[in-house]
Amino acid sequence: MEKMENVSAAAVPLKLFGSWASSYTHRVQLALRLKGLEFEYAEEDLGNKSDALLRHNPVYKKVPVLVHGDRALPESVIILQYLDDAWPESRPLLPASALDRALARFWCHFADDKLGPAVGAVFASTGEEQEAAVRQVHENLALIEAELRDGAFKGRRFFGGDEVGLLDVVLGCGSYWLAVFEEVTGVRLVDADAFPLFHAWLRDFEALDEVRDTIPAVDRLLEYARGVRHMLLGLASAGADAAASATPAAAAADIAVDI
Amino acid sequence: MNHQDEKDKVKLFGIRSSPYVLKVIWALRIKGVKYDYIEEDLGNKSDLLLEYNPVHKKVPVLVYQGKPIAESEVILEFIDEAWKHCGDPILPEDPYERAMTRFWARFGSDKLSPPIWKWFTTQGQEQEDAYAAAIEQLLVLEKELCGKRFFAGEKIGFVDLSLGSLAYVIPIYEEITGVKMITEETFPSLTAWMGNFQSSPVVKDHLPPLDKLQLRLFTPAEAAWPV
Repeated sequence: MEKMENVSAAAVPLKLFGSWASSYTHRVQLALRLKGLEFEYAEEDLGNKSDALLRHNPVYKKVPVLVHGDRALPESVIILQYLDDAWPESRPLLPASALDRALARFWCHFADDKLGPAVGAVFASTGEEQEAAVRQVHENLALIEAELRDGAFKGRRFFGGDEVGLLDVVLGCGSYWLAVFEEVTGVRLVDADAFPLFHAWLRDFEALDEVRDTIPAVDRLLEYARGVRHMLLGLASAGADAAASATPAAAAADIAVDI
Repeated sequence: MNHQDEKDKVKLFGIRSSPYVLKVIWALRIKGVKYDYIEEDLGNKSDLLLEYNPVHKKVPVLVYQGKPIAESEVILEFIDEAWKHCGDPILPEDPYERAMTRFWARFGSDKLSPPIWKWFTTQGQEQEDAYAAAIEQLLVLEKELCGKRFFAGEKIGFVDLSLGSLAYVIPIYEEITGVKMITEETFPSLTAWMGNFQSSPVVKDHLPPLDKLQLRLFTPAEAAWPV
């Protein structure tokens, strides 16, 4: 029997504004699926953002934005925590103890502040610059691998334990780009020998039904990534002026490097 | 000291001039939590700090029951949850208000700090552009505050703690640059908030020694922290 607050939360429709290639959008789609929450989806053209999107997220003007009745929620990690808070009876994304929650949040920050930008840098560069970026990615992955091996997540199948949680969603929706970028740039990022636990985790994550329903087909991602890389490298050689005037390119780069 | 006392001990590793460390100190005061404070020398970090925060090697680090927690925002949420029934709440209960609280805390570091720091550390056109960008974002904040005593309402909360360093750093920047940024005319709510914040019982007497702060701002190596 549902509690009153759940009935009222459920009675108010959910609408997600997103972009098909945005891993930040995928995080929210996956979380909604894991929690069994129905939602309407609106695909945004990032080169030509809708009035609705700009109204709902005037500060950042980005996807994803989750609209719940008259509430507009931007920023994927904020949205994910909102889902846990507003639907406490549904499958929780965050762990129970304050300490475990702190760890999950810490590593979510790491994913977005360190690993994501490092992978984006590999994708947007060549030569020596790229080599330095690759080293950075490996250093970051090594830290995560260490936590899986001997640290906070030792012995777990997923970061959330037996089932996926917040950190799996955040890290996972983004990590699928690693294989795509490897293919497009020809650079090895996740060596199964160097990062066996991370590699195994990613494989198990990507095998989940809800994840397969959320992440676009690899060939679409590859085609998309090839296009963006071509553009990014073209921009890099043309110089800063070209980058400033290429709005659609900037919008696309927004998604591509925001993994 | 018995085993239980040792286990429950709270330790904070920090430097007294860091706004990130101060946030944590203020949060612990809101909850009335007793803790041991360890002042670090960033030029010569202790083995314990490096052991507790191997990923970033930074302060603040809170150690609770032997387990380290790093990153000031993460620590603040942890303090609110671990001492839920002590003192005042740091985050609100309502899910949407919690989300907006987290949003405005990030706004500070994402949208405000970069142009403010740029304004303080550059010259010429770059400085002018940074100033304009900072004003634009401050106006957004002014609108959000809209006459409230604190961002959280009647008492200091998460957003106030996150933005609090603005209250004492901006006047220093204004003095050093000779240019006003937060005028009472344009920012009546923010101006009042800065005063409310600094004089609140939680913060009062727990601000960095301001002359030391000014000295630090001139030291190239150490000056690399934004608001």
